[in-house]
Amino acid sequence: MEFLSLLDITFFLLAGFGALVGIIFGAIPGMTATMAVAVCLPLTYALGLHHGLALLLGLYVGGISGGMVPAVLLNIPGTPSSITTTFDGYPMAQKGEGEKALKICVIASVVGGLISAAILFLFAPLLADFSIKFSYVEKFLIILLALSVIASLSSSMLIGIFSGVIGIWLSLIGDYSISDGGNGKTRLMFDFMEPYLFEGFSLLPVLIGVFGISTILLEAEKGAKSGLVNERIKISKGGGFSLSIFNGRLTNLVRSSFIGTFVGMLPGVGGSAASVLAYTQEKNLTRDSSQMGKGAPQGLIASESANNALTGGALIPLLSLGIPGDSTTAVLIGAFTLQGIQVGPLFIPENTETWYVMMTALVFANIVMFFLMFYAIKYIAKVVMVPKHILFPIIVMMCVVGAYAINYGIMFDVWTLLIFGILGYLVQKIGLEVAPLIIGFILGSQAEVYFVKSLESFGTFSIFFTKSPIAMVLWGLIVASVMFAIVMGFKSRARQKMELTQVTGSTRTASGKGHETDND
Amino acid sequence: MESGLSSLLSVSIDFETSHLFFPRIIHWIMAGLFVLILMTKVAPFMASVKRGERTLPIVGEARDNFRFIGTLVLIAAYFYFMAVVGDMFPYTGYGFLLVSMVFVLLMSLLYLHDWTKKALTIVVVNAIVAPSLAWFVLAKLFTITLP
Repeated sequence: MEFLSLLDITFFLLAGFGALVGIIFGAIPGMTATMAVAVCLPLTYALGLHHGLALLLGLYVGGISGGMVPAVLLNIPGTPSSITTTFDGYPMAQKGEGEKALKICVIASVVGGLISAAILFLFAPLLADFSIKFSYVEKFLIILLALSVIASLSSSMLIGIFSGVIGIWLSLIGDYSISDGGNGKTRLMFDFMEPYLFEGFSLLPVLIGVFGISTILLEAEKGAKSGLVNERIKISKGGGFSLSIFNGRLTNLVRSSFIGTFVGMLPGVGGSAASVLAYTQEKNLTRDSSQMGKGAPQGLIASESANNALTGGALIPLLSLGIPGDSTTAVLIGAFTLQGIQVGPLFIPENTETWYVMMTALVFANIVMFFLMFYAIKYIAKVVMVPKHILFPIIVMMCVVGAYAINYGIMFDVWTLLIFGILGYLVQKIGLEVAPLIIGFILGSQAEVYFVKSLESFGTFSIFFTKSPIAMVLWGLIVASVMFAIVMGFKSRARQKMELTQVTGSTRTASGKGHETDND
Repeated sequence: MESGLSSLLSVSIDFETSHLFFPRIIHWIMAGLFVLILMTKVAPFMASVKRGERTLPIVGEARDNFRFIGTLVLIAAYFYFMAVVGDMFPYTGYGFLLVSMVFVLLMSLLYLHDWTKKALTIVVVNAIVAPSLAWFVLAKLFTITLP
């Protein structure tokens, strides 16, 4: 219990502050938890490790939760993960039950968050313990598995893999670092770039650019319309909320939380996958699903408990394997590196105190989120109205601070923001996927080291198949995830064909839907 | 057969060129995937563009060009002038403070749709207060390096 001495009042204030700012970001449509973390990064530079963690985890939990507000009140998911909250939340708000709907969401959220925190607490050390024995060969295969899972869950596997490989390619720009056992020579660049890019692009400016600046560009293109000002926000008293709503919904609550945690563990899968999966499961398994989509509390419970359960789930591979579970944890990995933490199998055994501090912050952030949203929801709902012409310049400004200060004042890091802001914009425009690209970027240089070092010491490609039973199991999983994607691809194609033949009249709308980008 | 396979799989990496080994593999994979995507995704897509069912991304889309290009130009100018002004007052963060004020003001005006007196007042106040606050908290309280 020594870690208790590390907790002070500032720690709890920061976690609470983080949750509040996160909720506000999550509540503004188009702003996501990832952005909240990215924009608030500069604040953590000056904080110590534990205080920084408190703020970051508060932001993460708050950001994911905040998305429910516009989802219920305006039928716009504040973050992609609250997409299914709109199905039942908005109909309830229209019936004048907005407050009731939000309170159901808040309770479901906090339960989901806490269940996933418990799973994280029990499971991450086990996984870390197990993976500590991994050699370079297994570590490379783990990264390969992570990338193949991301790709297989993308809307198209081919596009997913391609995006991931582009991410890897981008991460290779720069030198083959001597500290990793490389020869220190640069590649993939022209000589004149060497002063700027010798060590490649810095991780955090890349992330802030892709998630911050490109979001601004996408909004600017649409004219940055405020649009919401004219809509009336109805949150009418309507009362009617009591805990008895949750009677008989416990299975749903727990099941959705587990689904959320599990989906969160899969690398690179956005929050929308978690809530959609939980929602459809509830629809399939419940006795009476006739009201779902028309304003049924059970839909809200499934959706919100699943998307908050993501938080704990996504932290499991991050802390035990060093592989981020979603784009927000991808930014977190950068923030950790900044604080001198190397996440991976050794993190938990070597930093037990930090690990307990993190758990405390995570649980506390969930509780603060609950009280803030349960009692102050009416006031928080108003931030949906903050006009974009005030918000956007401030976001760009904070992005600049974050990028500039990261390496103690390098202007090229600021330009990296713009480069990757434009790249992120183009990538989303032409239908590639951001999440695999970013995960590829983060894991690419490690993948290179593990791959080349394995070959240097064993001298044959066959080592990747024969090194150990674990390697074979990992190959099995890789093949399984690819097969899964192929089968799902065929199924959806068959379904599309069936729909096409059934509704021959309206073929265009079915095929007209492009790739949905899923980055939160 | 067995030995043939193992000699096929065996590999030796020259340390001098080891920095190119992995990138080369990635290039081949990228090229292969690109060709596959061209055949399975881009070709059918282009065909449907030709039939007029879909439009090209970016080129064929409706866009608020004024605000989009304006944003790009403003951000680029913001980054450029921050360094220029920052060099005039080294280690103070004034470059950030002054240029941010101008940037926030211009970008707010760019995005503002209805130029009412009230909205303009808020914009101007925000352009002065927000950068000052950020500068004070980050540069003064937290002593973070700013341009």
